[in-house]
Amino acid sequence: MSSEHHDTADAPPLTEKIAPGTASDPSTGSDAPATVTVDGQEVSVTAGSTLIDAIEAVDTDEYVPALCHYGREGIGPRSECRTCMVDTDAYGVVPACSFPAEDGLRVETDASEASQARDVNFDLVLSNHNLRCTTCGKNGRCELQDGAIEQEIEEPRYGVLDDRDEYEPLDDSSSFIQIDRNKCILCNRCVEACNDVQVEGVLRVEGSGNDTRIGFQSDVETMEESTCVSCGHCATVCPTGSLVEKGIEDATTIPLPGFTQKNSIGKSHENTGKTKGPMTPKKRQQETTEPQMDGGNDLVASADAAATEDNSPTDNWDDGESDWP
Amino acid sequence: MTVTNANREPIIRVSDSGPDRSLPTSVSTSDTIVEVGSTGFTTIEPLVMVTRNGTTSFYPQCSSAKLEDIVSAVNETGDVTAAEPDATVDHDPETSQLPVPEGIGLEPGVRDVTGACGWRRPTSPADHKAAGGFVEPDPEAVFDLGDQLRGRGWGDLCHDSSLTETWEAVRAGDGEKTIVVNAQGPDADKLLLGSAPFEVLDGAVALAHAVGGDQVVVYTSTENRHTIETVREAVSAYPDLSLPVDIATGPAEHRAAEPTMALEAIEGNHRLEARIGPPGPESAGLHGQPTLVHTPRTLAHLSVAFRHGEPRNTRMVTVRGDVEAPATVEVPETGTLKTAVDAVKLTGEFKAASVGGQFGGITDDLDIGVDPAALSEANLGTEGVVHLLADERCVVKFVGQRTRYAAEENCGRCVPCREGTTQLADLLRDVYDGTYEPSKMRELTTVMETSSICAFGVEAGRPARTAVAEFEAEFEAHADGRCPAGSCLETLEV
Repeated sequence: MSSEHHDTADAPPLTEKIAPGTASDPSTGSDAPATVTVDGQEVSVTAGSTLIDAIEAVDTDEYVPALCHYGREGIGPRSECRTCMVDTDAYGVVPACSFPAEDGLRVETDASEASQARDVNFDLVLSNHNLRCTTCGKNGRCELQDGAIEQEIEEPRYGVLDDRDEYEPLDDSSSFIQIDRNKCILCNRCVEACNDVQVEGVLRVEGSGNDTRIGFQSDVETMEESTCVSCGHCATVCPTGSLVEKGIEDATTIPLPGFTQKNSIGKSHENTGKTKGPMTPKKRQQETTEPQMDGGNDLVASADAAATEDNSPTDNWDDGESDWP
Repeated sequence: MTVTNANREPIIRVSDSGPDRSLPTSVSTSDTIVEVGSTGFTTIEPLVMVTRNGTTSFYPQCSSAKLEDIVSAVNETGDVTAAEPDATVDHDPETSQLPVPEGIGLEPGVRDVTGACGWRRPTSPADHKAAGGFVEPDPEAVFDLGDQLRGRGWGDLCHDSSLTETWEAVRAGDGEKTIVVNAQGPDADKLLLGSAPFEVLDGAVALAHAVGGDQVVVYTSTENRHTIETVREAVSAYPDLSLPVDIATGPAEHRAAEPTMALEAIEGNHRLEARIGPPGPESAGLHGQPTLVHTPRTLAHLSVAFRHGEPRNTRMVTVRGDVEAPATVEVPETGTLKTAVDAVKLTGEFKAASVGGQFGGITDDLDIGVDPAALSEANLGTEGVVHLLADERCVVKFVGQRTRYAAEENCGRCVPCREGTTQLADLLRDVYDGTYEPSKMRELTTVMETSSICAFGVEAGRPARTAVAEFEAEFEAHADGRCPAGSCLETLEV
């Protein structure tokens, strides 16, 4: 855009080139302190609250999983999993984690539409999740597992991701953090921790549709090749076994011969042997050659560049003439 | 020549849907020839119209050679009918709207909001002024008209809803306010900006004044080069433009038309995904400032309403699919889908229509009204695009393709859309293996509709949901290993 009405003079210099691939969401908290009614119980919340704050303060009629919700350290709301849908008298079914707590609003957790949405969306999360809990380092301390137990899910409608051909290789290339994208629910906490809290600019969301994944802003494929400093914040906030600290990735694997986290996937990116310390080679090189952080790619890519990546001709999207079935 | 309708001498209009085509050099220097935009009826273009003293003759699908003949015949004789036209019509010599003749297929619909298309020179302020344009209505008049208008298209922040409440929020807000003209959408929006850009810009500029806006941004796809070029010319020709009008582009992707993704693209984000809300763009839009996002259709309706003192109750509908050539037709809201479909030639017997854009509803009933209430009642979409399917088409295959497209093209942010479209495509694929579970599809599409972040996910399940309701027998036949249309045969034999 040619207009120069907005500059980034107020932004700290380090954040200028961070490109997490996510939208610039508005602040969704309430403007003022509010009292809302949750399943008949009045709850008062402070300014800046969303409905989830009120819901977490009381015992609700039905369980509200809110899988992607974190609610600390300025991380979220991402509002992507939609397992926090509740019914309101004024606005119908809304996502509790990102809906402003408006004074006087009446919230019901057991309304059938909201309840159905939470159920189906939870199953949809599971449909794309490798549910091999018995080899997972987060078995027993996994928010998705906890939620599924609480939600009493026995047989998810759409199954789980158990086709070995569809698994993404395990990224075991870093000496400190292991990535298993087959367990990722795209809650985006790691991306926000990396960019908004640690201001490291390593992780990003990339791709679209069912190719959406967590990747690296430096356009590389593995953690070892990235600009990671091994701070570990991503692993701390990860709700599942997708980002796990090395050394405990098999901590909760059931003790049977042949059972490991790594062979549950069957393919992996390995460490090249070049990495010794917590900083990756790329990060070390960057630190010595460039005082300012540079993710390695043009982070504020122009719209033209974005279009170049898209090979579809004009109007292609209206044809829908893909191979089917 | 300043005004094309003050015509003592013959004027030859060339209306051409192909922006890359240029006039033959032998005639391009002739000052009796003017290039106008598309009429919306692509099948008869290039269309040559010769006008003199209130008579216009029409030469549809006119070749360069024929155009040269017309030019020399008309210049020699001064007679508009000198070169054997396909049709002729008498009209008000001062008319600023395309006069519609009988016999060449231009009859369907009305020409009101689209009156300029194919008649006025797109970037001529004189033509627009002569048509009553460049009025500067006072803000209250703009708000009054906004109360009577609804936003058009899924790219409009006020899709199918009244405009005033959103405008009030922007007027009451603080900060630098922007009016985004969202032209990432369907053919109707491209037609307006390519053939009648001042109608759109007039609406945007008046709206900016009414809400205290600071700038207008026209947003379109990088690949709409003709639109970009025309808008650029129109902006520089716009008389006494009182605020900056910029042009911004986004990727040529379906999702890029969604209002919040449009803002992401304008801000320069390399990856587009929907924003959550509330608050919506009217309070936290472009760079967090109050922003309106309207389609060219909405703004052209507003602009034409200024001149009449009330909105024209029409809808622009593009008909495509199994047709000889697509057409964009302006249909009175009292009309039906049939009125729009009359503008095209089907390439077979009519079987079904997908009504409402990429994720339209499937129906075999063309007697449904085109106003949003009637369309919604019939579970169809209001996007203004009707995709026709001829009898050799398989509905199961069609909705399968649309659903798979949704699974590949969604932004990837929310679970009901990202995972829901994938599962829905799988459920449709399962039909071929004998497993047809309509209730599971209904449950899934319901949840996609109630819990997706943006309209992409809300609407993505509509093709499957409506097809299952309207063409149940076809799904059952596929589950039994038969494709009634015969187009899924190979797969079923495997």
